[in-house]
Amino acid sequence: MNYAIALVLGAFFGFSLNKAGLTKYNKIVNQFRFTDMAVLKFMMTALVVAMIGLYGLRGLGLVTFPTVPATYIVGNLAGGLLFGVGMALTGY
Amino acid sequence: MDWLKKQISKETWSPYAAGILLGIVGVLAVLLSNKLLGASGAFENLAGMIGKAIVPNAFNNMYFNVVMPPGITWGVILLVGVFFGGMIGAATSKSLKWGKQDASNSDTQWKRIFGPQTWKRWVLGFFGAILLEYAAGIAGGCTSGLAISGGMLLVPAAFLFIAGMFGSGILTALIIYRNRY
Repeated sequence: MNYAIALVLGAFFGFSLNKAGLTKYNKIVNQFRFTDMAVLKFMMTALVVAMIGLYGLRGLGLVTFPTVPATYIVGNLAGGLLFGVGMALTGY
Repeated sequence: MDWLKKQISKETWSPYAAGILLGIVGVLAVLLSNKLLGASGAFENLAGMIGKAIVPNAFNNMYFNVVMPPGITWGVILLVGVFFGGMIGAATSKSLKWGKQDASNSDTQWKRIFGPQTWKRWVLGFFGAILLEYAAGIAGGCTSGLAISGGMLLVPAAFLFIAGMFGSGILTALIIYRNRY
């Protein structure tokens, strides 16, 4: 049952990425050149919608949050710095 | 209904509309399965599974035993869904390039910068992806698993990661594009 949910949610995840154009090299790299802001618009919209949804549902007592990703400043930042290089190179 | 059909067959949506869809998917993942969306972790689960079968000693460490236990996890199934979802997205707008002539590299901007050779893109994609996956391992997630899933729970790690990602991404783009930036 959980796997069926994963498959369906994954499909919508991939669908939304494709429709936002984020499956294309030029969309990703042009974000870093600031000639196309689609990546940031897409990410921030998703963040805001999910934040409202999740904190709203938690306020109503309908969900408990799963284990949140750990914060370890040096690792998160170093990983991010390395990730950016790969992202700008490959466009994935 | 006609309106819906028209929207689905469009190649590119407004990023805001697609973002709303992803936001809803993110909420549903927590609500229905108590899981966070993510992509890079699934590759590590799969790599751990293959690694343990071939060289068990090299994979018998903290990371692959505790942090990223191998196996067909929820995330792996999600990734399968992402693959087919992306394909459906492309097929509905008739931009699916499966078996077409320029299927392996159809990006005109990429060709202008790096040249028309397909093998170059494959090499760059391969080594770039190693870098991506390794970096995601260090940071504890990728764009979806940490930046978006962590961000929507207001985890500080997500915003550190986004800052680092944009900092070095802009720098890398500057170096690649130089005066064409």
